[in-house]
Amino acid sequence: MDFQQLAHIAWLVPALPLFGALVIAALRNKLKGNTAGYLATAMTSIAFVIALLAFIAHKPAEQASALVHLFNWIDIPGMEVAMDLRIDALSLTMMLIVTGIGSLIHMYSIGYMHDDKRVNTFFAMLNLFSFAMLMLVMGGNFLVTFIGWEGVGLCSYMLIGFWYTVPAYNYAARKAFVMNRIGDLGFLIALVMIATQFGTLDYGAVMDKSSSVSMGSPWITAVTLLLFVGAIGKSAQLPLFTWLPDAMAGPTPVSALIHAATMVTAGIFLLVRSSALFALAPITMEVVLIVGLLTSVITATIGVFQNDIKKVLAYSTVSQLGLMFVALGLGAYSAAMFHVTTHAFFKALLFLGAGSVIHALGGEQDIRKMGGLKGITKTTYVTFLIGTLAIAGIPGFSGFFSKDAILMAAYQEHPLLYAATLGVSLLTCFYMFRLLFLTFFGTYRGKAHAHESPSVMTVPLMVLAVGSVVAGVLNLPHIFGGHETMKHYLETAAEGIYGEHLHLSVATEWMLMGLTVGLIALVIWYAHGRFVKKTTLDAEADELPYFKRLIARKWYIDELYTKLFEKPYGWLSTQLDAIMEKRIVDGAVNFTGSSTMRIGKLVRRVQTGNMSFYLLAMVVGIIGFLMLTLWGV
Amino acid sequence: MMLLTLALVLLPMLAGIALLVARPHAQAKSIALLTSVIGLGLAVALYAGYDATNGSVIAFQHDWAPAIGLRMVFGYDGISLLMVLLTAIVFPFIIGAGWKKPLSEPALVNGLILLTQSALFGVFLAQNAFLFYVFYELSLVPVFFLLLRWGGEGRRAITMKFFIYTVLGGLTLLFGLVYSYLQLPAPRNADFATLQKVVIAPDVQLWLFWVLFLGFAIKMPMFPLHSWQPDTYTMAPIQGTMILGGVMLKMGIYGVVRFVLPIVPAGVAHWRDVVIVLSLIGCLYAAWIAFRQNDLKRLVAWSSLSHVGLMCAALFAANTAGITGALYQTLAHAILVVALLYLVGGLHERLGTAQLDAMGGLKARMPRLAALFLLVMIGSVALPLTQGFVGEWLMFNGLFEVSPWWTFLGVISIILGAVYMLFAYQRSMLGEAHKAGDLADADEIDHWVLVPLIAATFILGVYPQPVLDLLQAPVEQLLTLIK
Repeated sequence: MDFQQLAHIAWLVPALPLFGALVIAALRNKLKGNTAGYLATAMTSIAFVIALLAFIAHKPAEQASALVHLFNWIDIPGMEVAMDLRIDALSLTMMLIVTGIGSLIHMYSIGYMHDDKRVNTFFAMLNLFSFAMLMLVMGGNFLVTFIGWEGVGLCSYMLIGFWYTVPAYNYAARKAFVMNRIGDLGFLIALVMIATQFGTLDYGAVMDKSSSVSMGSPWITAVTLLLFVGAIGKSAQLPLFTWLPDAMAGPTPVSALIHAATMVTAGIFLLVRSSALFALAPITMEVVLIVGLLTSVITATIGVFQNDIKKVLAYSTVSQLGLMFVALGLGAYSAAMFHVTTHAFFKALLFLGAGSVIHALGGEQDIRKMGGLKGITKTTYVTFLIGTLAIAGIPGFSGFFSKDAILMAAYQEHPLLYAATLGVSLLTCFYMFRLLFLTFFGTYRGKAHAHESPSVMTVPLMVLAVGSVVAGVLNLPHIFGGHETMKHYLETAAEGIYGEHLHLSVATEWMLMGLTVGLIALVIWYAHGRFVKKTTLDAEADELPYFKRLIARKWYIDELYTKLFEKPYGWLSTQLDAIMEKRIVDGAVNFTGSSTMRIGKLVRRVQTGNMSFYLLAMVVGIIGFLMLTLWGV
Repeated sequence: MMLLTLALVLLPMLAGIALLVARPHAQAKSIALLTSVIGLGLAVALYAGYDATNGSVIAFQHDWAPAIGLRMVFGYDGISLLMVLLTAIVFPFIIGAGWKKPLSEPALVNGLILLTQSALFGVFLAQNAFLFYVFYELSLVPVFFLLLRWGGEGRRAITMKFFIYTVLGGLTLLFGLVYSYLQLPAPRNADFATLQKVVIAPDVQLWLFWVLFLGFAIKMPMFPLHSWQPDTYTMAPIQGTMILGGVMLKMGIYGVVRFVLPIVPAGVAHWRDVVIVLSLIGCLYAAWIAFRQNDLKRLVAWSSLSHVGLMCAALFAANTAGITGALYQTLAHAILVVALLYLVGGLHERLGTAQLDAMGGLKARMPRLAALFLLVMIGSVALPLTQGFVGEWLMFNGLFEVSPWWTFLGVISIILGAVYMLFAYQRSMLGEAHKAGDLADADEIDHWVLVPLIAATFILGVYPQPVLDLLQAPVEQLLTLIK
């Protein structure tokens, strides 16, 4: 089939997981054993095959994009929004990530969730998530993307709170949803502004019309900033990042799929999708850069002090997302997307590896109580090691290339920016090797009986490990004999990937690369010395000295938000009801009422206080009035 | 068409009267349900026979009291049809809400409900201002009886307050209508077609606006005229609250569209920002207060207040997107309120209370009911692909044309709405089960009521076009009248 034909059946890609979700949800009390898991995995796998065929058939030089019109969604004069899907380089890239890595995580979940009573519900939600995420990336206009945007938020909420009997998890779920909604406020207003300005929300049309907007106008700055607010919520950047670490309450496959590989990258996707608008807003680009950098530095420091295996990875995710925003802020769109792609592989791998460890230890998540697992869980160890090497940026692994692209772009902007991103990379390397050494090296410090996970879980690990190694090839830079394939491919997405011209000399590139690699090696050597032979447990956060405690307690940001927003919100709710409502609004009404009553004493005889009498009088009055007029004519 | 139109008004009226007179308590709910389902069939037939490009249709007219301009004119346009459909859709479910555990003397309850429905059909089908007024007032009478007889704690005092509010609003409306009518050149009548063309001096419109609007503002209610609402909604029997919140408040929206916008456009232009700001304050204020409510029914009352605030604001944006969005939302809101209140009623039946602090952990004991609650909640926070989102999206666009700040205020409600709904869901459904013991999970009847309502929410969220098409012609016509 050629590309056009495949585009016509592209609606199947989101429809299949939706179908799976509905079927499994409807039959959730009837399906036995692994049926739901197989069905859900089959749905995303078939979707992956279709996406892959479309990708192979896609010849950007002949046809850069295809718009698939399903039906008119909201159509009134002056506001036409169609249910459209857009198939181009950008959406195909994301579709492959979502369905490909998604399928592996579905498969892994069959093993991981095997003993859970509500495993069928779990797979229904996971498939529903896949549907929503695919709508997000395939949407032909902003509003269809928004369907997916809100849909993934809902699934994230349901899956974070999947084990609903634990109050802390429910709180985490609610927190995630509300913080995302704060971001959505920005997104939604931006959409209204775009619709009003251009009379359309279609990506192609908006990008065409954006050429009429003058560079840096207040309008474009406002719109892009508001879009970025949406991205901040979904991709967990400052100041809205605190929901993501808490989201680790969800089952580990959820953390891998939603809170590492796909949903949290939606913010980056959105900015790339609207790059034509952002290219016109230099102020916004600065803001994106600063927010990304601050987030990535702050959360990287927090990651160093976490003792929960998933929390380390969560802060690492936020930090890596921050790096992607740094790339976006520099206009290096393809570098950001490249890192999204490699990160999807190695972070999904790391989370699933962590899940395998947790599974092996019967639910233990504290790395201080692990150690020495490399002899017991061999596959998990080897794959986790590969993931760690990839994220740390060891030459040859995928993370090295994608991170290097960001570091180079940063250096080109300013050496200090390079220094900061390099610092983040070194911190990343440090906490990841700390995690690796404490978990798999040294001697076992826990009590549970450890065992390796079943192959339904280890096979996805192996596949992802291969991906984590080779994904760098996708965008191999020129100095390694590559052609930056991914960059050129993404440039064909009709809305354009603008302004990426790296013009560093080859010598500078080699020098910077050498510096990075050298420092990383030092960090690993240091971490090795510190953590491998560790026998004592780290102290609790509260026992640490002042500065370390500040970082270990996550800069007290959660406490700050509770004090500043959560508590006053509830307080005001109570006060509004008790004072404003009961005393002022109702008080005024009652005062009017009682004054009238006093006057009304004059006609006391009629006021029997009997409502039924009044009503009867009213009915009789109305009927009598009508009768009179009838006769009167 | 004539037969269908008259049957819509007469059928529930006659059935209602028959129930009140014969009092067949055992068969009452079946008779009422049958009547309301036939009513739904009639409404659908009316819709099927209507050509959306046609404008308004006069189905029946008869001189009644020409001396005062009162003519018996029934007819409809797309807006009327939407309201008729809305009424026809929710009433079977309102009657269904009394199926499992009927109130005492079911013949009277169902009779009164049918009488209300008849009057509401009258309100939405009347094409004469005074005829409208007659039905508008009549519709409240059975509701008052429902509140007085079957209401909860404090029903006398609360109903009295509601009654006073309503009478006040009704009287000013009557005065406003009579005044406007008298401005017409003789020979005159109060048919909509005639009355909408009345020319009123701009300075008169400044005060006439409030005279006409006050009653509708109370009915919705608009901040700060709402203080009857939370108490009344909480005290009323669940079916009464459904009628009030599901359908009757839409009379306020409908009234604004029929009278306020066309008769006093200069007044609207002058007071527009005041009304929008008050409405938006109400929208946020109510959502904020809803957060800490302990009574789930009261929380739904505040939530309704919040939603209607946004609708009223968008209506006064007085442009295509705003009016269409607000009208579309009336249907979404009706379905939502009935579904939410049904859940509240169901919980009350099972637990003997609707207090949230007496709940918690119910999902573990009633997983099906919790799942239904979750779906209704998704509609309440207006996620895309639910009806509510279509309405909100249009309303935000409508408000933006007036001022970006109004959109900003309106959009804040999507955060506050999520805050109180999710918190309520968590407090009632999630967590460890408080006590052991059996609670009946959602049964067949619960599914019969909730599944169609939820299905409608999603179907009209994915494909709202049939309803939007219904509104297009009359909204454009209304806008040309205003200009």
